[in-house]
Amino acid sequence: MPFAAETPRPATQVAPRTPPAGETGEPVLPRADVVLAIEALTKRYGSLVAVDGISFEVRRGETFGILGPNGAGKTTTLEMIEGLRKPDAGRITLLSLDAVRRRRAVQDRIGVQLQSQALWPELTVEETLKTFRALFKKRVSLETLLERFTLTEKRRSLVRDLSGGQKQRLSVATALVNDPEVVFLDEPTTGLDPQARRSFWDLIHDMSGEGKTVIVTTHYMEEAEALCERVAIMDRGRIMAMDSPRELVRGLDFDNTVECTFAGAVERERLLALPAVRDVKKENGAHFLFTNDVSATLAGLMGLTDGGGERVQSLQVRTATLEDVFISLTGRRLRD
Amino acid sequence: MGVRGFLQLVVTQAIMLRRNTGFWISSIMMAVLSMAVFGWLFNPDTQPFDLALVDEDHSQASRTLMEAFQGIDSVETREGSRDGELASLQDGDLGAVVIVPVGFADDLGSGSATLPVYYDNSNPVRIGYVTTTVDAVVDSYNDQVVGQTSAVTVQQQAISTKNVRFIDFLTPGMVGMTIMWVNLGVGFMLVSWREQGILRRLGVTPLRPGALILSQAMGYSLVSLMQVLIVLTMGRLVFDVSINGSYLWLAVTALLGVAAMLFIGYAIGSLLRSVTSVNAVLNLVAFPMIFLGRSYFPLETPPALAPLVNAIPLTHLNDALREVVNQGGGLGDLWLSWLILAAWAAGGFALSMRLFRWQ
Repeated sequence: MPFAAETPRPATQVAPRTPPAGETGEPVLPRADVVLAIEALTKRYGSLVAVDGISFEVRRGETFGILGPNGAGKTTTLEMIEGLRKPDAGRITLLSLDAVRRRRAVQDRIGVQLQSQALWPELTVEETLKTFRALFKKRVSLETLLERFTLTEKRRSLVRDLSGGQKQRLSVATALVNDPEVVFLDEPTTGLDPQARRSFWDLIHDMSGEGKTVIVTTHYMEEAEALCERVAIMDRGRIMAMDSPRELVRGLDFDNTVECTFAGAVERERLLALPAVRDVKKENGAHFLFTNDVSATLAGLMGLTDGGGERVQSLQVRTATLEDVFISLTGRRLRD
Repeated sequence: MGVRGFLQLVVTQAIMLRRNTGFWISSIMMAVLSMAVFGWLFNPDTQPFDLALVDEDHSQASRTLMEAFQGIDSVETREGSRDGELASLQDGDLGAVVIVPVGFADDLGSGSATLPVYYDNSNPVRIGYVTTTVDAVVDSYNDQVVGQTSAVTVQQQAISTKNVRFIDFLTPGMVGMTIMWVNLGVGFMLVSWREQGILRRLGVTPLRPGALILSQAMGYSLVSLMQVLIVLTMGRLVFDVSINGSYLWLAVTALLGVAAMLFIGYAIGSLLRSVTSVNAVLNLVAFPMIFLGRSYFPLETPPALAPLVNAIPLTHLNDALREVVNQGGGLGDLWLSWLILAAWAAGGFALSMRLFRWQ
């Protein structure tokens, strides 16, 4: 079901093209194939609704992404699934078990990496893995873990003496000590340099290759595009759209985005009237022109020269990405 | 989680504590330094002693001798009966008892009288002080009153008493203090684990709070018992502090103390959010306990404070440790202190379980 906007509030303004029901001919999923089913999940903190009645399903073996800015409710959603927080309403079925009531049975079969690398600095690599292994029924052998995460030579080093990348690998290794069926990664590459991020993506590809279901949150749209078979775009506690990254982008009624700033004030109506422009958003002084004909739009833009305030100061043209899907859905960028 | 898993957690906890050298060395250093200072440099045992005088002769001569003793500035004297004062000496409340026996004046008239002096044999420093003081008084009495150098001879009688030297009193107190410091420290560890997200990380595993708390308790017990052993060994080798009671009772007492302090620390750590506030609160709890619980000095308790002093766990830990180490006490002497420590441990554990949160 592509583009099931799972919330009562419809995706406003530039609504992605929604194919008529039944057109895709996608078969109804057999239940056995669904590893995680979320129904009307809600979490409130006082008057703030952090997660607002969201629903989605994740299939076995899938790499599923939750993309959204900070504060969208991604982490709270994961924490409820992982058993760290109790939902105020809704149902979570994970590995065919009620994840709230059968919390520990579920936790025995999942692997989790939290946002912060929670490791004891005074333990060695080997002691850390042994300690985490002790907590589960099913255990991967120590040697396998050390080898797989290239930590064999560091096995007797204290965690506090490891490099950032080694700590990151150890942290993922602790999430895999029980050979989990489902792995949750909460913003795993935040704060990593680009090279470390890429090698981390390889690790996720490997997990996926072993048939594990991977659920990852991120606010990097490149990451969602590179890793995920399906992405849920989340904002202010709701899921705005959900599909494969390619379909999400294809669902936009424009192909390119022209981002520009002007020397003075330019009325939105004048930009909207430019050739081939489907919509215009303004954020932090920059205008985003969503177009399905770049050259026509650019020509029109250059022609806006009667006053002087229309002088273009900066200009950037790019193919539509998940970022644009987010902007078109929310009017804001993923990262401020 | 099976037994092996649980034991792995205990081992992990003990390893972490042992590697946290700053923490366990500093807690033991306070005890070691205190013992060194009071054992060598500033020894309260050389302070004036109490002297009891028993006049059984009721003569002019015995009266004069009594007054000579009462005239010493540095010694507290009192008068009493033979049986009462000797019992006092046995209990370690006196330095010596001087008895002027019936017939003293007559003996003196016939040229030589003996003066029995009973003194406490347990403290070598004080023995010297007592005997020289008594000899000096008797010599000057012979000189000035009788005018004959060997008219009165002192007959020294050493009495083995249960008298406790200050270092004997201090050592169990230092054991109690060390147990308190280390185990209250679990509150600090709990809050810093929570701050570092380690508790959250454990919260997404099947680990139960009760299993976590108990494994930490066992890890702390192992480290605490090692420290008890270090402090007592130092007391034995350096200051000749002997352990009069059973090692088993000593271990039980120490473990109950560990449990009481640990779960109090755990409850405090469960109540507080930041590392700085938990530090402040732990100090606020620990320092008054050290003094009210009589780790250092055998202070008399003002009646107003008595209920508080009798309620705090360190009082009972110190009492029970002294009972075993100094007095060689048995179950009959220990059960009340054990009961109160166990009550603190049970209460702290229940509160910790109730308040526990992963984040």
